[in-house]
Amino acid sequence: MGIRKYAMLGALALATVSSFCIPAQAEDVTITVWSLDRDIQPAPNLIADYNKLNTGIKVEYRQIQFDDVVSEAMRAFSTGQAPDIIAVDNPEHALFASRNAFLDLTDMIAKSEVVKTANYFPGPLASTMWDGKNYGIPKATNTIALYYNKDMFKAKGLDPEKPPQTWTELVDAARKLTDPAANVYGLTFSAKANEEGTFQFLPWAQMAGASYENINAEGAVKALDTWKTILEEKLASPDTLTRSQWDSTGTFNSGNAAMAISGPWELDRMTEEAKFDWGVTLLPVPEQGAERSSAMGDFNWAIFANTDHPEESFKVLEYFVSQDNRMFKDFGQLPARSDISIPETGEPKKDAALKVFVEQLKYAKPRGPHPEWPKISKAIQDAIQASLTGQMTSQEALDQAAAKIKAVLD
Amino acid sequence: MKRILSSITDGRGFDIALVALPLAFLLLLSGLPLLYNVLMSFQEVDMFSLGTLWRPFVGFENYRELFEQPETLPILGNTAIFVTASIAGQFLIGFGLALFFWTNFPGASWLRGLFLVSWVMPGLVVGAIWNWILSGDFGVLNFLLRESGLISGNIFWRSDPNYSLWAVVMANVWLGTSFNMILLSVGLSAIPGDLYEAAELDGANAWQRFWTITLPMMRSSIGALIALGLIFTLQQFDLFAAITSGGPNNSSNVTQYWAWDMSFRQYDFAKGATISVIMIVFVMLASIVYVRSTRHEVRG
Repeated sequence: MGIRKYAMLGALALATVSSFCIPAQAEDVTITVWSLDRDIQPAPNLIADYNKLNTGIKVEYRQIQFDDVVSEAMRAFSTGQAPDIIAVDNPEHALFASRNAFLDLTDMIAKSEVVKTANYFPGPLASTMWDGKNYGIPKATNTIALYYNKDMFKAKGLDPEKPPQTWTELVDAARKLTDPAANVYGLTFSAKANEEGTFQFLPWAQMAGASYENINAEGAVKALDTWKTILEEKLASPDTLTRSQWDSTGTFNSGNAAMAISGPWELDRMTEEAKFDWGVTLLPVPEQGAERSSAMGDFNWAIFANTDHPEESFKVLEYFVSQDNRMFKDFGQLPARSDISIPETGEPKKDAALKVFVEQLKYAKPRGPHPEWPKISKAIQDAIQASLTGQMTSQEALDQAAAKIKAVLD
Repeated sequence: MKRILSSITDGRGFDIALVALPLAFLLLLSGLPLLYNVLMSFQEVDMFSLGTLWRPFVGFENYRELFEQPETLPILGNTAIFVTASIAGQFLIGFGLALFFWTNFPGASWLRGLFLVSWVMPGLVVGAIWNWILSGDFGVLNFLLRESGLISGNIFWRSDPNYSLWAVVMANVWLGTSFNMILLSVGLSAIPGDLYEAAELDGANAWQRFWTITLPMMRSSIGALIALGLIFTLQQFDLFAAITSGGPNNSSNVTQYWAWDMSFRQYDFAKGATISVIMIVFVMLASIVYVRSTRHEVRG
């Protein structure tokens, strides 16, 4: 009798408790977000803030490593376990979009009060498009420009307020600034055999009128020949071939290179480490008045096509977009939007540099977009390295790359 | 029923169970993935068929395309050079050190233990450190060579196509030497001392003792070590990722790094699998040589 009474009581208690809890849970839709952001970067913080709003949508976050983003996403998608939202590197966006693995957001964006395509820089926006439709929203962006050491410019008789504007001026300045006795190279950049090499080279080819579809055009050959001159005359370290952008710019910060081609991700470290006066200028162009171009980096948001909650997922993205004005202040990343001005940091060199980067962003072009971008990029990297090691002429190397790319495009 | 049970606890059944367990383990964890890999090399694989087993069959198409690429043969050649040079370097230096410590001077065993530190370090850490050592402009190696007057200008170990593969070989020899040394030390200490006493009484000098006693008695240790060395060098990936990334212009690219690059950089999973199959063939050949060379051994 006693046991029975307790059992009844227990069941009653359970029923009461669950009758309070279950409805509350049923209202909540759970959205999963994958990105590579660490705890000090946007995604986990924006998600924590969003969950505090209690909108009835609960967002769960999973951090994935840079190298695993695409392979994890592919595996998850092909086995039906993809997250609702993912942040994907912009050259890889088309790989998913072209196969309709990402949701077409065109209609939702058209109706949205928050997401307006007109607010974005053209480069980042283009990287989210495929076949004229919007398959994502730019998350943040970056580009590359020319850093230069003003103190060294003065020491070598160059005007620190007139940094090189054309390729010829750049090579000339590099010649004057190179000083083997003092362990100083004129320029540092990266021609590494990975995506970084393509990231740095493609803007040069584009400024001279070439593109990945006609990579053996005259302009691209001229661009690669300019790189070749820089390496053959030892105006840049031979290790440029195997060094990342981050390590290369490290030599600029330590005063072993007078100019560096890199992006805004260097600013914090440079402000801290560089014990000299430095400035940033737009990437030099082939000749005065030529078309400008630059690289475009960073990630895009996208919603997987097999999500159960497209509306709710889009609401979460709208929240992320609504917080874009915090992007720089809180997380040090540049929003991909031309309508948001970057707040002053109070550090004059940094503020001046940021203005140049925002200007440069107007000319930033996406890599691709093409679903087989990694193969196209590999062909370009191979050409850069074959030419710079002296194993082929620039023309031969780029002809070979063009043939490989043609096979991919057909 | 009772007979079967007793056979399992004590008899033939027990023997079979003992063999079956590891065999099942091997088949499940090595055999199946290997077969899956071979299957994949004959299929067309993309993002959408990644989760399924039966994909469009393309025959030898992947192999044909792979061998049409200009970099394939140089990369296979690099792999051969890398494996031979690494094993030779690791073995010779390891053997030299093992013989050195075998003389048992005070503190020998202590020092020998310290050598293992290099083996304990993760490949990526070793790679990062060698990356600095081999750096062209500010590397320690160039500094030492320059100060000792061996070279006049800096050698760009990582970025000069003539040196890049050797840069990784150097790091790999450093990494694997201590392991070779320890295994060879164990082999050396297993040789009965009376053999040497007898030989000495017969007037054999140190050189003769080494060639007629030490080397023959070490035969099985050396065989096993070379086979292990082959496996370890063929799976050496971290050093390539950390030092040269296979560059410049594939001059330091080897099959194991290339397979990864194909699968996880260019997302061509079928070609990645194809490269792995080619590697399997070479490892099989090597293991046949190993099994044949140690077959006639009688072991206690």
